[in-house]
Amino acid sequence: MATSPAVAPGAVPAEPLVRAQVGLWSDAWRRLRRNRLALVAAIYLTCLVGVGLVSIFWTPYSISHTGVGPTYQGPTSAHPLGLDNLGRDILSRLMVGVQISLIVGVGTQIVVLAVGVPLGLAAGYFRGWVDTVVSFVINVFYGIPDLLVALILITVISLGKPSLDKIIIAIAATRWMDMARLTRGQTLSLREREFIEASRSSGARPLKILFGHLFPNALGPIIVQATFGIPQAILFEAFLSFLGLGVPPPTPSWGAMAADGVHSLRIAPHIVLAPSLALIFTLMAFNFVGDGLRDALDPRQRR
Amino acid sequence: MIAPLLEVKDLHTRFFTDDGVVQAVNGISFELNEGESLGIVGESGCGKSMTALSIMGLVPEPGRVTGGEIRFRGEDLLRMRAEDVREIRGRDIAMIFQDPLSSLNPVLRNGFQIEEAVLAHRDLPRRVTAEQAVALLRKVHVPAAEARAKDYPHQLSGGMRQRTMIAMGLANQPAVLIADEPTTALDVTVQAQILELLRELNRDMRTAIVMITHNLGVVAGLCDRVIVMYAGQIVEEGPVDEIFERPQHPYTWALLRSVPRVDAMRHERLRSIEGLPPDLVQPPSGCRFHPRCPFRVDRCFVEEPPLESAGEGHRAACWVRMARAYDEMGAADLVDVRPGAASGIHAAGEGVGG
Repeated sequence: MATSPAVAPGAVPAEPLVRAQVGLWSDAWRRLRRNRLALVAAIYLTCLVGVGLVSIFWTPYSISHTGVGPTYQGPTSAHPLGLDNLGRDILSRLMVGVQISLIVGVGTQIVVLAVGVPLGLAAGYFRGWVDTVVSFVINVFYGIPDLLVALILITVISLGKPSLDKIIIAIAATRWMDMARLTRGQTLSLREREFIEASRSSGARPLKILFGHLFPNALGPIIVQATFGIPQAILFEAFLSFLGLGVPPPTPSWGAMAADGVHSLRIAPHIVLAPSLALIFTLMAFNFVGDGLRDALDPRQRR
Repeated sequence: MIAPLLEVKDLHTRFFTDDGVVQAVNGISFELNEGESLGIVGESGCGKSMTALSIMGLVPEPGRVTGGEIRFRGEDLLRMRAEDVREIRGRDIAMIFQDPLSSLNPVLRNGFQIEEAVLAHRDLPRRVTAEQAVALLRKVHVPAAEARAKDYPHQLSGGMRQRTMIAMGLANQPAVLIADEPTTALDVTVQAQILELLRELNRDMRTAIVMITHNLGVVAGLCDRVIVMYAGQIVEEGPVDEIFERPQHPYTWALLRSVPRVDAMRHERLRSIEGLPPDLVQPPSGCRFHPRCPFRVDRCFVEEPPLESAGEGHRAACWVRMARAYDEMGAADLVDVRPGAASGIHAAGEGVGG
């Protein structure tokens, strides 16, 4: 290995320099690929995102156009998943429902990250009264039933007219505590590590230490937590929509679609079945990916 | 006479624990001049590291600097705003730590971490700092610096990591570099290389170095002056040669005897120091070393010895001093080093076997 030709006196000879360039992320990716279940789930989710994107521009039928065929009609070649109680094409509505679910799932986690991570970092790093206040608020939110929080918030902030962003905020309000608590715990142990002391001794500003040193080290668990949080949020949204508190009709949320079919469950189970199965597969996929990420990002669990 | 670069006066650092107040640093004073190399030695828990962290303003909870002055270029760091101290930290006074692996952020690239140290004090574009990081790595003799800058800490050997730490410390050309046991975690050949590097920096860049160590060999090779600490206090200080040739405090004497020497005769045994370092919640009365000192006299039990001159630039805090111990107590060929053995003075209730 050629180094600089003129080596200063007292310089040490070069060490063997042949090392594989294995970074944290490439290593994690390698381990994730070995996990079949997570890989299949990841492929499913990629397809789901594709379907969601396509549905923005094209669906087989209009999602709000009623009576494209007989109401309650089962699957046919023209309508692979059948028609619902108003004679709307279920496949088209399911496709648009993907958008809603993904936006709610991911959007909620973005809000949760934006709120939970800074609060957790601050509480864990500064401790003292900051920690006392943050921990108190976390415990208060844990103490109130999440459905109650969501219902009250939706009613208050949307003035009876729920929309997607308000639903996201309402769900995030019931879900941010896990993230804050996780980040706080991570920070509490990381702050005692020597490299934090070293960066303080080099004169780093507190904000730099929080986001430049502590956050990257806690990133693995945070990503895993966020991945598990997505299906929770999707389920919660479906639940709200099922109760009629979600996005207003005719926007097809999976929860609302299932609610549409409940009364005719005996004669036309496909109306409930289609969105429910879509929900189940999606939740499972996110959980498998989350599991795979947890194994991949935690070197201690290396097998 | 030029004012010293760093002046510590009567520094007290205490830890307020559930078991009581630990007097980690108890009234120490010293000066560090521009370009000087000062060693602070003592066994574990004698307050060396806490002295360094007090200077950096990084004493961990539940500790606090409770008194004294730390003047850097005439200004008292203890009375400055936190933000001003942060500015000095890393820019004027930098510190390197014992374990180079745990002192580097495992998820950030080496070069990036050096850049961060630069950016903490100067507003420069990334392109410039990236070049500086590589230049700094070269300065500390890291081979293939460009490639190593792109590595993560775990990809480097211990010596290379410590060089990276030193590069971080030098990022802003500090006037003082505090090295807290920088070679303890490294193997012996690498230790020598790191010491050579520090010596070179001290010589070429006129960086004043405070070398904190329990290894007397390190001090002998690097430092101009030595401070010997025991139980949070300075027991002896002076020029390196003077301390090594004519130690006046029994603790220094005992420390030197406990170091293996190449020129020692076969039959000579290494002498350990009897007993353990004192409990700093309730330190011993009088001289803090008296419970372990073979040369103690009655006065040592009750009265604290002041740090007084024992030659040119040489000071020691001892009622007996080794000069007297050699003349009157046969210190030259002392075999029994149990407390009070040489002077024959034992505390009440303390058996000879103590």
